[in-house]
Amino acid sequence: MATHPEVKTAEDFRKQPAEYQEAVKKILVSHAINELYGAQVFDEPAIKFAPTPYAKWLTCRVAMEEYHHHVRFRGLADDVGVPGERMDTRNKKPLSIFEFPMKSWEEFCVIKLLADLAEILQVEDLLHCSYIPLRNVARTTMPEEKFHAQFGRDFCSELIKTPEGKVKVQDAIDRYFPYLPAFFGAAHSKNNEMFRKYGLKQRKNEEMRADYLARVKDLLDSLGLRMPKIPAAA
Amino acid sequence: MTADDPQRWFSTLGEPLGEAERADIDAYLAGLGIGPSLPTLLVESWTQAGSLTRSPAGSWWDIEEAERTRLEKLANLDPSDPEWLTTTDALHGAAALAAVRAGVADPGLVRAAAGAAAYATYQFRLTRAAKASPDHPFMRKYALFCGGRWPLGVYGERFAIF
Repeated sequence: MATHPEVKTAEDFRKQPAEYQEAVKKILVSHAINELYGAQVFDEPAIKFAPTPYAKWLTCRVAMEEYHHHVRFRGLADDVGVPGERMDTRNKKPLSIFEFPMKSWEEFCVIKLLADLAEILQVEDLLHCSYIPLRNVARTTMPEEKFHAQFGRDFCSELIKTPEGKVKVQDAIDRYFPYLPAFFGAAHSKNNEMFRKYGLKQRKNEEMRADYLARVKDLLDSLGLRMPKIPAAA
Repeated sequence: MTADDPQRWFSTLGEPLGEAERADIDAYLAGLGIGPSLPTLLVESWTQAGSLTRSPAGSWWDIEEAERTRLEKLANLDPSDPEWLTTTDALHGAAALAAVRAGVADPGLVRAAAGAAAYATYQFRLTRAAKASPDHPFMRKYALFCGGRWPLGVYGERFAIF
């Protein structure tokens, strides 16, 4: 539960301790950057891999929504004085999940299935955030994130109807999944401790990762797919 | 001609085609080098549109993409421009409204329609930024969207429009 009083506006934000302000800024920058990278390296390029006009246009809309998520988080960051350079993907090394070299429709569907589920957990953790403008953006963003994960599930379900499709989807899972546990950050993270101290986040990184792994296991079991072994360090 | 009246988008789906719309279709196809002699398939329902567009994309898509790539060498647009994203949201709203009016509750199909509209708007803006001819096929396709249609592409030697 939040241990810090609710902060309702950007004006109130400026009256908070410097550490609180920096914690909020770090979360905003992280989300703004991740949403932009996702749209740039996965969603927009995936339009060319989509096999039908329906899938291409749907992917186009999903890309637009991901760009819009970036704009929403960037807007909050602008309001609290984060310099634009901190949210420029050219100035910041991407998280490892964005380094996956996507080359097929099957891979994109797996990315939506697994990475958007990871994003849902991150956004869920902000739904009770003490900084109300961030909480509100999380609530606005959540239905679209859920649709994106459902998009992955629906198309993967379609693909695995044939034996060849199932092999390709499983292969994509085997190669992409290892990137994902690190998305939740290091165990015993100082940043995460600060986020929880101020009621910005609710759970430890390791708790979120464990929850994610359990949800992925259930999801893949329900599709008749296999969860790869997790690297020991994760 | 802009998407500044998104309420008009998707408002004439399934209705008989007028002469001006037929002229836009002919000019669009001729501009892509597909030929204006293709028969037109007037799609009459969201279900039919959904089913048809789930067929594999034909060569018309590749021709459009080749032209988009060519234009992007002449002009550059920011896909995260907030004003542009607001427009795409409005187009999504128009698609959702049209679907609800037709008794359709398929969020995937609504998003596909919204994506088609957004893509056509992007192609229109790109064409304009590249200072291409007003008769450019992307301009003619955009005019069809502005008139309330959803051009679906070429399927089995027929140009389909909803």
